[in-house]
Amino acid sequence: MIRALVITHGNIGAELVRVTGLILGPVEGLEARSNSGRSLADLRAAVSEWLVEGAAAGATGGIVFVDDYGGSCATAAQLACGHEPRRAIVSGVNLAMLLGFLTWR
Amino acid sequence: MAVVLARIDDRLIHGQVTVGWSERLRPDRIILASNEIAADPWQSRVYASSVPPAIAVSVVSLARAAVALRGPEAAAERTIVLTGTAAEMSDLAHLGAPLPGVNLGGLHFGAGKLEMLPFVFVDRRDLEALRRLLAAGLALTAQQVPGGREHAIGAQQIDEMERRL
Repeated sequence: MIRALVITHGNIGAELVRVTGLILGPVEGLEARSNSGRSLADLRAAVSEWLVEGAAAGATGGIVFVDDYGGSCATAAQLACGHEPRRAIVSGVNLAMLLGFLTWR
Repeated sequence: MAVVLARIDDRLIHGQVTVGWSERLRPDRIILASNEIAADPWQSRVYASSVPPAIAVSVVSLARAAVALRGPEAAAERTIVLTGTAAEMSDLAHLGAPLPGVNLGGLHFGAGKLEMLPFVFVDRRDLEALRRLLAAGLALTAQQVPGGREHAIGAQQIDEMERRL
């Protein structure tokens, strides 16, 4: 299973994750983080922690969905994911995108 | 014109700068001044890629930023200067960068930091740097976004925070 993390401003990500569960039922391997109140370094550490958790569980990569390229969420994701080819970042996250990902992964 | 905004923000280049302040101030260039980031070409590219194409961007060391801001080309450009910490902005000022004042835009919570404002958390090192900026004759204003409330930060606020720490 490909794990995914949704990082957004405010509660957008948490709400998107919650609503995917309302539509598809409980989903695994999908979490949300918010940048609220967090420095870029703190947010980067949160993404790194998620990647380490995945690696410990045997995952070799994952997808990070962010809301807006150029924002702190996208920058933190890029800095945390680095050059590892099995880590992907997708900008412009929305409900249809997440439903498509969860359906086809 | 030269520096239209000198901002301390631990998120550096992000929406409040590239959309919020840039829509208001219409800068020609954003300078991210950081010794650590400037020494890493890949990190520099990540930050630079966050700036809209209409705005030039430089990711440079503090010393290079100070030289660039004193140069003749700088006077012709409207420039936003960013540092991630108060200490770096203080160093930039003491290297001779001509700054119009300093905007505290975002210092988020971290270990050992106390809240000065909902978007400004400081420790003793930050307060020392803010004092140095005041001593250099620079006005300090905390304001996250254009149109948001401006908070003048003076010696009294810094003393008060020092007592609480």
